[in-house]
Amino acid sequence: MGASLPPKEANLFKLIVKSYETKQYKKGLKAADAILKKFPDHGETLSMKGLTLNCMDRKSEAYELVRLGLKNDLKSHVCWHVYGLLYRSDREYREAIKCYRNALKIDPDNIEILRDLSLLQAQMRDLTGFVETRQQLLTLKPNHRMNWIGFTVAHHLNSNASKAVEILEAYEGTLEDDYPPDNERCEHGEMLLYKISLLEECGSLERALEELHKKGSKIVDKLAYKEQEVSLLVKLGRLEEAAELYRVLLAMNPDNYRYYEGLQKCVGLYSENGRYSADEIDKLDGLYKSLGQQYTWSSAVKRIPLDFLQGDKFYEAADNYIRPLLTKGVPSLFSDLSPLYDHAGKLHFAVMIQADILEKLILELEHSIRLTGRYPRRTDKEPPSTLMWTLFFLAQHYDRRRQYEIALTKIDEAIEHTPTVIDLYSVKSRILKHAGDLAAASALADEARCMDLADRYINSECVKRMLQADQVVLAEKTALLFTKDGDQHNNLHDMQCMWYELASGESYFRQGDLGRALKKFLAVEKHYADITEDQFDFHSYCLRKMTLRAYVAMLKFQDRLHSNAYFHKAAAGAIRCYIKLHDSPSKLATEEDDEMSKLLPSQKKKKRQKLKRAEARAKREAEVKNEESSASGVSKSGKRHVKPADPDPNGEKLLQVEDPLLEATKYLKLLQKNSSDSLETHLLSFEVNMRKQKILLALQAVKQLLRLDAENPDSHRCLIRFFHKVGSMTAPVMDTEKLIWRVLEAERPSISELHEKSLIEANKFFLEKHKDSLMHRAAVAEMQYVLEPNKKSDAIKLIEDSANNLVPVNGALGPVKGWKLKDCIAVHKLLETALTDHDAASRWKVRCVDYFPYSTYFEGKCSSAMPNSVYNQIGKNHENGSASLPGGGKIADSVASNGKLEAFKELTI
Amino acid sequence: MGAGREVSISLDGVRDKNVMQLKKLNTALFPVRYNDKYYADALASGDFTKLAYYSDICVGAIACRLEKKEGGAVRVYIMTLGVLAPYRGLGIGTRLLNHVLDLCSKQNISEVYLHVQTNNEDAINFYKKFGFGITDTIQNYYTNITPPHCYVLTKFIAQTKK
Repeated sequence: MGASLPPKEANLFKLIVKSYETKQYKKGLKAADAILKKFPDHGETLSMKGLTLNCMDRKSEAYELVRLGLKNDLKSHVCWHVYGLLYRSDREYREAIKCYRNALKIDPDNIEILRDLSLLQAQMRDLTGFVETRQQLLTLKPNHRMNWIGFTVAHHLNSNASKAVEILEAYEGTLEDDYPPDNERCEHGEMLLYKISLLEECGSLERALEELHKKGSKIVDKLAYKEQEVSLLVKLGRLEEAAELYRVLLAMNPDNYRYYEGLQKCVGLYSENGRYSADEIDKLDGLYKSLGQQYTWSSAVKRIPLDFLQGDKFYEAADNYIRPLLTKGVPSLFSDLSPLYDHAGKLHFAVMIQADILEKLILELEHSIRLTGRYPRRTDKEPPSTLMWTLFFLAQHYDRRRQYEIALTKIDEAIEHTPTVIDLYSVKSRILKHAGDLAAASALADEARCMDLADRYINSECVKRMLQADQVVLAEKTALLFTKDGDQHNNLHDMQCMWYELASGESYFRQGDLGRALKKFLAVEKHYADITEDQFDFHSYCLRKMTLRAYVAMLKFQDRLHSNAYFHKAAAGAIRCYIKLHDSPSKLATEEDDEMSKLLPSQKKKKRQKLKRAEARAKREAEVKNEESSASGVSKSGKRHVKPADPDPNGEKLLQVEDPLLEATKYLKLLQKNSSDSLETHLLSFEVNMRKQKILLALQAVKQLLRLDAENPDSHRCLIRFFHKVGSMTAPVMDTEKLIWRVLEAERPSISELHEKSLIEANKFFLEKHKDSLMHRAAVAEMQYVLEPNKKSDAIKLIEDSANNLVPVNGALGPVKGWKLKDCIAVHKLLETALTDHDAASRWKVRCVDYFPYSTYFEGKCSSAMPNSVYNQIGKNHENGSASLPGGGKIADSVASNGKLEAFKELTI
Repeated sequence: MGAGREVSISLDGVRDKNVMQLKKLNTALFPVRYNDKYYADALASGDFTKLAYYSDICVGAIACRLEKKEGGAVRVYIMTLGVLAPYRGLGIGTRLLNHVLDLCSKQNISEVYLHVQTNNEDAINFYKKFGFGITDTIQNYYTNITPPHCYVLTKFIAQTKK
């Protein structure tokens, strides 16, 4: 390094490097300038100066200098290394890898560069490259533990677990017998566990178990030891020993569901779908009874039997389980039991389903407590709160069964009984949301929030309700109450608060503010990029700390990161925005286009260039400004990094994309890669590709939809729309068109839904199959109108003839109608927009008002959409964005009447 | 579980973060809507205003105002004391009142007083048990409820010597 310089300057160069490593950038800069005074063209010095400036937030200068340095000294590995570091700091890993490779061509055995390269290869999952680099590092420095481990992990990631084991064993061969020293026992133990998990992974189960037993004394993590042992025993089919070991584990933690599940598997009493024969149920019952006697303090051992018991036995177990929890007052009891409500349909009709039994049971408890203050068949008096918790449970029960009126009666009674319990208001808010009154739900959630201003959870729940009711401004203010710097909106972004960004994006989307909606959706996408980025530091850290099992698990998690539900929602939201943008380009853009269209082509070109130049200039200026402000920020407040202001807070720039569908395709590809089993992915793919006239890709989407769920109304819609569109196209002229045509001709017979049927017949056939389902009828009607526009009245009649049948429920308090609010709203919108029949839509609304009295959409008589509603005042206040925030004495005067929100008589003392 | 099971009763202070609990209680308990000054006084009284929790549910409260008498001595005015109906008879009111009385003797405050509607015999008897006596009657004290008259109940606490 700096070899071409005279001694004095060479020393100065060493100083630059040292200053960079110790973050004394100013000192380094001075030294660099001193060299450059004498040797203005010295490449390595120029590069190092650039790298130093990069750390002082002077990016554009940095790139200039580093590139100049490299140009002046292409043969220097230092210059290439520095260039790589620069790219790495900007997360341009592919470019960085190229630079490192060039540096290594000049200096192949440079450990530092090799190590940096290996990190990048791990990050980019360049696994063959990673293996090579790690091998080289090990060859160069075989006495470093980290190099052995790195080489092992590289082979493991490259799907060669057995090779990885060999390397670890070779490494163990280099160790002394008395290894490890006391201060490295944990690391060594982790290494051993990692090795055993590798053996398990490549199927050498016997050897894994043998190794585990042999090295047992050197494994510090005793729990991991046992869990590994039991896993191996199960895989080896040594079930009796495994069962014994599971019992040992249960003694250590009798609330770990996985141990119970494992034990059940070992004794042959486990079924994936939770269905058991009567004989199995008896055996299971016996097993859990005996376990329950051993682990009296375990709640899992009491809860699990509720999942398999039936009939009277279920009743008895549920009764024993629920009573003490209602007495104690456990607000989460209903969520604990709510999986039981999904058990419906699993059983024969003759058997009462769990939910009905629960209803009967709780009503009995309620009745008895009301009458006597005691549970049935008990002599002890219950505390007064038991009645309130019972009502609380019942309210959630009826909410779950969509009997909202009863649910509200119960929760109101509970609030009347004890108006200070916050959970009551939260549940009432949730019931109202389900019943279709989002404004009232938001008001109730706000009331709950006001009761404990120090509780972030209640605050967040309230924010969510506000966003669902499209009160975005208010929601933002409320959310900011719990951020560090209350006024800085960015803080929510920095906290990666994705539920907020998604809900906010959805709300903006509903309100037609596509810019802000996109902004939020893309912010979530950015978080996922950041999470991917975050793994970088662990490539070196974990190898050093030997947390190898956790490290590999983390890498595997990262590999499927984008299949996470939040990412899916964000990407789908963004795609929807782009589709809408494509269908109705924003006013701004069209105006601009108008202006453009008046110009001659040559003028247009000039104007475009001018615009581009202006943009580039603005960008440069902004960058310089940011650098200045951050530079001054650094000098003033030391370490504090001042964030540049968001140049596009309202997402207006996002709306100015040239080709929205191209943007949509970017995110669509991610969905197709990571959520290929989601119907929504292919529905969106269909919409995008139909608009792009990509016939074959749209066909792909249709085929995927049919694969996933051919009976879904939306799948049916896409199928019919696709072939209808194809049928109406003109005969092919171009060769490519002819090719597409041939593919379609070949594919159509393979689609069973259309086999030897016309589209009209296929539509009718679909109706026959699903004639009792509202949503299917609506889809058929819509398609009928598409296929035969002259038969619109038939289509509308098809919808209007749908019957809202009662769903059979054994409950004591009356049956439930089958239709869901969400579906009825969709049908209303369909009548209004797709079938454009306002009268039919009105008739539909009148019909739905009866079914959904709390729905604001249908202006139900109990909803806050009515002028005399008790929630009305509040809803209006919220629209004005006047939050009832803490700090003042005006804490929500309107909500001072315990969940009823009615005007309260003014009284004073 | 069973008879004789101890349900814990605990007291907690009122702060701006949980003052809504007190408002909820008052709305349920009293036919009067209290103004901002009431809550400001309650918050200012510090330990003299307490919420009572019955197995972690807020079910009652005592709210006081500290008043300066001529000459600088402080007396305590109990603005409200109440427990939600289902939770009465469990000693919660007693616990709250005793807390305030204990605090008074600790801080050498010699006078505690309150107003009570003249027909509210239950309340009058309750306070008499703690050594309160009727010291005055104010005609037409209330404006919106009948009877509009009230008694002043006062307890004088013997000063403990330092």
